[in-house]
Amino acid sequence: MRKVIVHPQRCVGCMQCMHACATAHSKSKELFAAALESPLPKARIHVGVGLFNEGFPNRCRHCEPAPCQLACLPGAISRDVETDTVLIDPDLCINCASCAMACPFGVIRYHQHCYAPPGKVVAVKCDNCFERQMQGLIPACVEVCKAHALTFEDPSRALKRRTDEVARSVSPGVLQTDLAAGFSVLNAHKRQQIEIALRRSQS
Amino acid sequence: MKHVIIGNGIAGISAAEMIRQMDADASMTLIGDESFPPYCRPMISMVLEGSVGYDRLPVRGADFYDRMRIQPILGNRVTALDVDNRTVSVQGEHNISYDKLLIATGADPRPIKANNLHLKNIFFMRTAEHVRAMLEAVPSARRALVLGGGLVGFKAAYGLLHRGIPVTMLIRSGYPLALQVDPRAGQMIQDELVARGLDVRVEVHVIGFDGNSRVRRAFLSDGTELDCDMVVIGKGVTPALSFVPKNIIQVDLGILVNRHLETSVPGIYAAGDVAELIDLARNTRWVNAIWPEAVAQGRVAGMNMVGRKVAYKGSLSRNVIRIFGLDVMTAGIVNAPHDGPYEVIARDDPLRKNYRKLVFLEDRLVGMTLVNHIQQGGMLIAMMQSGRPVNISREKILSASFNYRQLIR
Repeated sequence: MRKVIVHPQRCVGCMQCMHACATAHSKSKELFAAALESPLPKARIHVGVGLFNEGFPNRCRHCEPAPCQLACLPGAISRDVETDTVLIDPDLCINCASCAMACPFGVIRYHQHCYAPPGKVVAVKCDNCFERQMQGLIPACVEVCKAHALTFEDPSRALKRRTDEVARSVSPGVLQTDLAAGFSVLNAHKRQQIEIALRRSQS
Repeated sequence: MKHVIIGNGIAGISAAEMIRQMDADASMTLIGDESFPPYCRPMISMVLEGSVGYDRLPVRGADFYDRMRIQPILGNRVTALDVDNRTVSVQGEHNISYDKLLIATGADPRPIKANNLHLKNIFFMRTAEHVRAMLEAVPSARRALVLGGGLVGFKAAYGLLHRGIPVTMLIRSGYPLALQVDPRAGQMIQDELVARGLDVRVEVHVIGFDGNSRVRRAFLSDGTELDCDMVVIGKGVTPALSFVPKNIIQVDLGILVNRHLETSVPGIYAAGDVAELIDLARNTRWVNAIWPEAVAQGRVAGMNMVGRKVAYKGSLSRNVIRIFGLDVMTAGIVNAPHDGPYEVIARDDPLRKNYRKLVFLEDRLVGMTLVNHIQQGGMLIAMMQSGRPVNISREKILSASFNYRQLIR
């Protein structure tokens, strides 16, 4: 089964995934029309800023067992086995925020959205674009990510690739392939700038 | 293996599900005081408020016992536990024998001392049945009195205010939710409720009631009287362990359990509101009578009962409440003593009604109070539960823009 995999080292913080996500979870599915909808569609993936201004697309990990599901008072959170997705039923949700207390990644938000009963504030989080997946499309955040910080693939494949990378790093004789060379440079540069500014302000 | 579970609350049913998941052949008997299918206790206040109906309370279907192949014995309490012969007795039933026993009896409302408590329309708010009785009294109620400024008192007051009934709340301590939040957040909550019509009186309690079969008036400790036709007692809960032989099974406030949720008697486990175990923030034994703890402890107890030695790290007190326009989330130590070893940092933004307080012990986060911007509070709770050293700037965590990226290097 393919899943969304995050590669933090490649994220440039462009937030295109957030736009794509909000659009994919709108009525119209069109960016400009979505911006005029009420309730305003919101992203379920959240690009946060790190200590050195690096980006990171924070999205639901669809944990197993899912702490939010165990904590949910009305039993509104369930797992779809087919897509291995943790889903929130907006009809059953009572907006109690018990899931906010349970989620170790802070990826659940509370607002109205177009699939929920009108006017009802409910818990909202990533649904792995199950609607798109049923149409044969891949999740919107992955589709739009230009930096390949998000990929949609078999986790075992990604894990193997990462294992290989680690193997190369410990045996210098093996041919090195920096998968995110440009971004490593960019991030190192950003980091340096901030560290220099910090040192200046301290002296 | 014959498993007997006492209690059909969420700890009991979580354990039962875990046992069934790991042992398809286990024999299971579940003894429950309430004859309802398993339901969500924290939601009863929402039934009072009117935002959800009774039909939403069950957390498992009516076929739960059949599906899990559990023999239910419902409607009666356990009267005795014979540790030597490995049996429990239920009113009107024969002795039920067990190989492994789980005590998940939960807690009962703490009674109060006052005159004429037998009068009609004086309620506890703990079970679905209590709320059903309260709703019968609501249509004719003109003024309600809520005793206690804890979570139950607050939820009762909130629900009744929603129903348009003026409420007076009596709080013994100086501010509401004194056990759950710090004074600043307590004040914010109180202001919000007072703005919505709640009458709060602090440092006063009830000494008696008066009325002709139904309650009409309350007498307070400061000598005043108060007209009321409905009373809700919310003075906390106390673990339901009257049947437990305290000379054999170690009991403090709750039943003492080790990291495997096992009591001092091998083969007997306890979980949920009745269990007392190490508290991660306080680093001492504590009864944390909250729903998510009951779920987690029930699951771990179930695993251990089928023979898988799984350790539970410890419990953590935590709560989240939404009161009108305020969201409040707290965890761990909320009122750190000034002379203690704790370091406390806080940020208060009264204009935006935004308040954050963090409590540190050396390099670990051990307590938090968040008012509004609670969405990512779970990250802080996870930090407290993992006990991992906080190696980033504490001011960063205090900021509302704190996010998961800052935790990964």
